[in-house]
Amino acid sequence: MEVEISRRKFLQGTVAMSVVGATVATNLLSNEHGSSHGATKGHAPSSITTKTSTGEAVEVATLCEMCVNKCAALARIEDGVVTKLNPNPAFPKSRNMLCARGNAGLQALYDPDRLKYPMIRVGEKGEGKFKRVTWDEAYKAILNGTDKFPGMAKILDEEKDNRSSFLFCAGEGMAEHTFKTFYGAFGSANWLNHATLCLQTVVSGYGVTIGAYAPADLENAEYIIMAGANRAEAIVTPDTMDGFKRTKGRGAKLICIDPRFTHTAAKSDKWLAIKPGTDLALVLALTHVVLTEDLYDKKYVAKYFNGFEEYKNSVLTNKYTPQWAEKITGIKAKEIYEMAREFMAHAPKAVYYPGRRSTFSNNDFQLRRAMAIFQALGGGIDTKGGLVFGKKLKLGAHEVIEPMYAQAESSLGSSWVNWRNDFVDNKQDYKVRGMFIYKHNPMLNMPNPTKTAQMLKKMELVVAIDTMPSDTVMYADVVLPECTYLERTDPVKTFGGVEPSIAQRNKVIDPMFDTKPVIDIMRGLTNEITKPLWEITKKYDEDAQEAIEEDGEEETFAEFDMRIPFKNSQEEINHHMVASVYGEEAAHHLHKHGVFYPDMGTDFKQLGANKFQYYPENKKAYSVRGGKPKTPSGKIECNIPNLAKKGTDPMPVWRDEYNYTVPDGKFRMLTGRHAQFTQSGTANNAMLHDLIFENYIWINKRIAEKRGIKFGDTVEVSSRTGKITIKAYPTEKIGPEQVFFVHGFGEESEALTWAYKNGGNDNAVIEDIVENVYGSASLHETNVEIRKV
Amino acid sequence: MARYGMALDYKNCINCKACEVACKEENGVLLGADKHRIWVGQNEMSGVWPNLDISHAAFMPSQCQHCDNAPCQEVCPTNATYYDENGVVRVNADQCILCSYCMNACPYDARYVDDRTMTVDKCTFCSDTRLARGETTTACQNTCPTKVRIFGDLDDPNSEISELLRTREHFSLKSHLGTKPKLFYLT
Repeated sequence: MEVEISRRKFLQGTVAMSVVGATVATNLLSNEHGSSHGATKGHAPSSITTKTSTGEAVEVATLCEMCVNKCAALARIEDGVVTKLNPNPAFPKSRNMLCARGNAGLQALYDPDRLKYPMIRVGEKGEGKFKRVTWDEAYKAILNGTDKFPGMAKILDEEKDNRSSFLFCAGEGMAEHTFKTFYGAFGSANWLNHATLCLQTVVSGYGVTIGAYAPADLENAEYIIMAGANRAEAIVTPDTMDGFKRTKGRGAKLICIDPRFTHTAAKSDKWLAIKPGTDLALVLALTHVVLTEDLYDKKYVAKYFNGFEEYKNSVLTNKYTPQWAEKITGIKAKEIYEMAREFMAHAPKAVYYPGRRSTFSNNDFQLRRAMAIFQALGGGIDTKGGLVFGKKLKLGAHEVIEPMYAQAESSLGSSWVNWRNDFVDNKQDYKVRGMFIYKHNPMLNMPNPTKTAQMLKKMELVVAIDTMPSDTVMYADVVLPECTYLERTDPVKTFGGVEPSIAQRNKVIDPMFDTKPVIDIMRGLTNEITKPLWEITKKYDEDAQEAIEEDGEEETFAEFDMRIPFKNSQEEINHHMVASVYGEEAAHHLHKHGVFYPDMGTDFKQLGANKFQYYPENKKAYSVRGGKPKTPSGKIECNIPNLAKKGTDPMPVWRDEYNYTVPDGKFRMLTGRHAQFTQSGTANNAMLHDLIFENYIWINKRIAEKRGIKFGDTVEVSSRTGKITIKAYPTEKIGPEQVFFVHGFGEESEALTWAYKNGGNDNAVIEDIVENVYGSASLHETNVEIRKV
Repeated sequence: MARYGMALDYKNCINCKACEVACKEENGVLLGADKHRIWVGQNEMSGVWPNLDISHAAFMPSQCQHCDNAPCQEVCPTNATYYDENGVVRVNADQCILCSYCMNACPYDARYVDDRTMTVDKCTFCSDTRLARGETTTACQNTCPTKVRIFGDLDDPNSEISELLRTREHFSLKSHLGTKPKLFYLT
């Protein structure tokens, strides 16, 4: 999303949104506000599943939020009840699919445990005792506190308007943008999101090496190495589904490399079990074969590589041979030779799949660099069947403010685990005393929940915005209930790719209970707090005092007025952002059909039961730069001396400390994601719970037998972090030194009917080990003990 | 009037369970592992880690086969199970007495008890929901991420399914029983 930012002294330059400025509704807090497209007042259905009828129905085009992909959906509404979510075929990014979670989105809307009303804490912190209040009372409690907790005004006054004394953290989602807009206007420097618990190392590794974390064109690739990615079982998205339609002798050869035999392994042409955390050695050995046998694309390398000779020299002198890698990875040298040769024979229509997973090992950043370089050696960059940069459609701007507060201290870091531990251990340079949490569950989402609980208890004011009473919400002082994705219009978004489009989540029904979309929450909150907090700024901020003297208070305050970004409804903002670029009709089209791109009228066609055309072949953006990398130099960066200055290897190399070892009697703990669950966010979904009612620990069958562990036996899993109990699943799909169980289970919040104490929480045993480049949590570095109980 | 059937490009299936959920939400099927109209079969892995038998690791999507010669219809003492005008095997809830003969007779294990309507229910090809509204396909076909299914009229020589069955090799489950299924697995 393009955002126009008005900083101090640049305010006059901001012209965006002037068009809609005149249409502000009079009652900004009303629930009816913005319900312009006939959204229905909803009520809950009488049973968990509702058979669709043949009677009258309304259909609204929306976007899914059950995972990160944002597939397009058509919601069917019968008499105020949403009875079915169907795939919307018009969206090139989701190509007429909704997965199990997408179909179960109804259960998120009608979850009986949803947060229904604003609440403030009346019990002890973490006890989960709240009282229902009005929105106005909740906003006032945030500003002024209660007898149980201090308010923002007190904290900011005591911290002399250091806006960074508040932490903002958010989970992924379309409305995260709106919450982040509030963070920007508030002026704190402390922002934490899922990045360092998720994609940070892969995004950055590819970013610094080829200039972008580019999607893979699995629809046209002929050879795919999928290592450490489980796309048949983790996030199910159309881009990877293409690959699975062509494996097993049907056009694409898929090599799955994973310590476990996953569904991806089942769909592949070959599965190779690798020792956890040793993928880097494998990629270095693949590179060694390609360099010694001269298999790389010499034209591409000559034109677009920086530091090729240094890297070649490093790989050769370090003797990263397949025989060397066999000892480290457990993959036979002959397999490595074969893979390297086959990959390059098919290149550039060959993909070393970049993956969409979190950080597993301490060498993850270097692994991603080595993967990106290996990919580029075949010339498969910005080309059909390789990694594709694609195009992005432009969107208009909307007005946000990011004022500079003179008293605001700089950021205390962007690594979630490090930030939390420093806070708990009193190692931060200044006091952080309050936090806002949006759609984020730190109690479940990062290693060592004991430490997270200490953080939340120590934080004097915790404001949580969420749809569900998660473990984290239990520690809040003020709870602001967000409506679910089906009850709100979210910021319009442009989706880049080979077939770019713009899509919009339209409100399906009006918010149920006393819930609101984030933009309405931010409007209400900023109306309450902006002026009182401005008084504090005036007291301590010398720059602001100076500006008032020069320009007068009214003009100066306009730069600090946190209400500005939220004065219009989301519908109005979206309409403006689209209409200002593509005209009124495009905005209406998005409203009605959920998806828009130029020439959609002529190019979008159904060709068969399972086939749609979005763009004709000659209009697809397979190559937009003729293969030129997107780095500032326009080259593939093999050797980055700047990294050395930061204590990181400038080129990917193997280090002895990366070797995989497990002490006798212990197991390496592996975790992963699941196609029927999205982290802890869907843990209480009745339908998904019906599909996978609890997680089981995978343990090698022969080892289990030796230890007398049978299917369904309860075992205790323990590490230095803590212990959990979980049921056992003995299987040959995992090696003798490893155990695995899926993430997202084992919540402790009693307010969750289905998720409460259901299965085991992986993060309760994973140690808070971080890799040294970004401080991302390394999830596969923990050894655990297992005991039958 | 049509003769509905379904072709399954079963090698595409990744066992993601989208079809199961879509079916339950569309048709108001009760929750519970034994309450399903549609499922994916999976073999136990054979072999010893790391030498597992990858060719054995297939996923087999299944549901009522809508047999032209349905054993469940044949044994039904009250004629609750019947063929509708489109050749779809249906159940009349008012006539079902829960004798469960059909459950035993069905070689595909496609019948289950709906505790709410007290019927031995089954897949209807969405006949009383989507097709009744004039839609042209089933919920499972529509939602599938890997596009396993194709639904259509076997009597129409120009339908996509007819074309597909003419041009691609396929097989039926337990064809030796003479049930004449209208589900076709593409090889």
